[in-house]
Amino acid sequence: MEATAKIKRRPARGLRKRLRDAFAIGQLRVGVAFLILLILVAVFAPLIATHDPFALDNDMLLPPSAEHWLGTDGLGRDVFSMVVHGARTSLVVGVVAAVIAGIIGTLVGGIAGFYRGGLDRFLTETNNIFLMIPTFFLVLLIVAFFGSSMVNVILVLGLTGWVGNALLMRSQAVSLRERTFVKSAFAVGESRARILMKHIIPNGIYPIIANTTMNISAAILMESSLSFLGLGDPNIVSWGQIISHGRSYLTSGWWISASAGLAIVVTVFTFYLIGDGLNRLFNPKLQSTR
Amino acid sequence: MGRYIRRRLATAVLTVFLSIILNFLLIRLAPGDPISYITGQDFPSPQLRAELTAKYGFDRSLIVQFGVYLRSLLAGDLGKSIAGNRPVTDIIAERIGPTLLLALTSAIAALLVGTSLGIYSARRPGSKFDTAMNGVSYVFDSMPPFWLGMMLSLIFASWFKLLPTSGMVDLRAGYTGFAHVLDVLRHLILPAATVVLVTFPYFFRVARTSVIQAMSDDYVVTFRAAGMKESRIFYKYVFRNAMLPTITAFGLTLAYVVAGVAVVEIVFAWPGTGSLMLNAIMQRDYPLLMGLYLVISISVAITMIVLDLVYALADPRIRYQ
Repeated sequence: MEATAKIKRRPARGLRKRLRDAFAIGQLRVGVAFLILLILVAVFAPLIATHDPFALDNDMLLPPSAEHWLGTDGLGRDVFSMVVHGARTSLVVGVVAAVIAGIIGTLVGGIAGFYRGGLDRFLTETNNIFLMIPTFFLVLLIVAFFGSSMVNVILVLGLTGWVGNALLMRSQAVSLRERTFVKSAFAVGESRARILMKHIIPNGIYPIIANTTMNISAAILMESSLSFLGLGDPNIVSWGQIISHGRSYLTSGWWISASAGLAIVVTVFTFYLIGDGLNRLFNPKLQSTR
Repeated sequence: MGRYIRRRLATAVLTVFLSIILNFLLIRLAPGDPISYITGQDFPSPQLRAELTAKYGFDRSLIVQFGVYLRSLLAGDLGKSIAGNRPVTDIIAERIGPTLLLALTSAIAALLVGTSLGIYSARRPGSKFDTAMNGVSYVFDSMPPFWLGMMLSLIFASWFKLLPTSGMVDLRAGYTGFAHVLDVLRHLILPAATVVLVTFPYFFRVARTSVIQAMSDDYVVTFRAAGMKESRIFYKYVFRNAMLPTITAFGLTLAYVVAGVAVVEIVFAWPGTGSLMLNAIMQRDYPLLMGLYLVISISVAITMIVLDLVYALADPRIRYQ
C-alpha cells in the first residue's frame, strides 16, 4: 500500500524551503541578481539606450564622454546604445538554442536509458558519433551555406548542442528505472510512455537544467564567434558584430570592442554562476567539497 | 581489450563516413552557386555555364557525384580549389604546420598550467587561493577567445609595444637559422597566451574535481588512519587515479583545439588554417571547405581513438571490462 502512495510523486519539499536553500548558495544569489539586471536591460533596451543604435553620425570614433557614454564607432553610431540593444540578441539566441538542445537531449537520453535494448544501442552510438563531430566547424559550415539569419543560427546551435544533455539524461533514466517508485508504477500498470513522461523525466531533469544554463553560455559564445567571422545576422545588433567592427579601429577606438566584449564576459559569467549554483543545489554532496 | 578497441574503431569509421556524407550533402543542398563565382558574374552565358558544369561534374546525379567524390577521396585526392585552381591537399598542407605549432604548444601549456593549479587548489579546498582560482577560471571561461586576443594585442603590442601584433615572422628582417626560431617564438607568445588563457580553466576544474574526489575515497582515509605520510598518499596513490580524467580532457582539447584556434589565428593573422577557412567561406570555395572540414573530422576521430588506447593502457578497469 505504501508503494501506491509513492507512485504519485516523490515527497515534494515546500517551495519556500527550496527558495531558501537556493538563496543560501552564493553563486545563485549573485547570478540571479545579474540575470534580472540583464533581462531588464534587454526588455527596456529602447528606453535605456541614449541614441538610436543604427543612426549614423559624423562624430566618428569619439572617446567615451557625457554625450556618448561608451564613445562612438567608426560609423558614428553610439556604442552604449548598440551594446544595450545587443543584450536582446545574445539572450534570445542563448536561451532559445539551449532550450532546444535541452528538449532534444532529454528526450533522446530519456528514451535510450528507459527503453534500453536495441534502441538504446542505436541512440548511444548516434551520441558517440555526434561527440566526435567538430561542432563549431559544422555550425560554421551550415550558417555559411544556408544563410546567417538569427533563426538559422539559433536552430543550428540547438540542433548540434544536445549531446551532453542526452548523456546526462540517459544515466539518470538508467538509475531511475530501478527505483521502487518506478517499479511500482509498472506494477500498477501505467504505460511505459506515461512512466517516462510522468516519472523518469520530471525526476531526472535536474542535471539537465543546470547543464542547460551552461549551454546558454556556450551558445552566446558561439554566436559571438560566428558574428565575429562575419556570419551574424546583418539586420540586428550583436555584441560579436560590434567587436568585429571594432577590430578595424582597435588602436584608434579601443572602446568599441572592449565594451562589447565586456558585455559578453558579464553575460556568459552570469549563466556560469547560475549553472554552478544549480549544480550545488541539486547535488548537495558537492557543497561539502565546495 | 581487443573488443573494446574494435568497437571504438567502428565508431570512428562511422563518424568519418557520416562526416563525409554530411559534408557532401550540406554543400550540395546549400543555396549559392559556385559557377557564378568562378565566372565572376551573376548571370554567365549559358554556354559558359554548361561548359563549367560539365567540367566540375555538377550535371551528374548526386549519387554519381558522391561516388566520384568517394573514389577520389580514397586515392587521397581532395579535389581542386575552385578559387585557387590548385589541389586542396597542397593548400591545406601549406597551412597545417603553423596551426599545429600554435595548437599543440598552447594545448600542452594549458594542460601544465591548469592541472598544476587544479592540484594545488584541490589540496587546500576552501582556502583563499582555491576560492579566487575558481572565480578566475570562470572569468576566463566567459571570454570569447577572439576578443581576449584583440585585447592582449591592444595592450601588449599596441600600447606597450612589447610584442609583434600579427603574423608569424618579421618579413622585413628576413631572419634565418636561430634568429628565425626566436622570431617565430616572439610572434607565437600572444596567440598562444590567448589560447592558453581560455583553455586552462577546463584543465583546472577537471584536475581539481578529480583530486578532491580521489582524496575522499575510503582507502585514503584508511591510509591516513594508518599514519601514512600525506605526501606519500598523494603522490603514490591519489595522483595516479586522479590523473585519468585529465588524460580524457587533454585528448578532447587536442581534438578541438585546431577548430578552437581558428578565430585566434584570424585575429593575429597567423598563417594557419583559420584564415584559410575564412577565405574559403567568403569565396564559396566548396572543395577547399570540404577538404578542411574532412581533415579536421578525421584528425578528431584519430585523436579520440589514440586517446581511448592511452586510457585503456592507463586504467586496467577499462581494459578488462
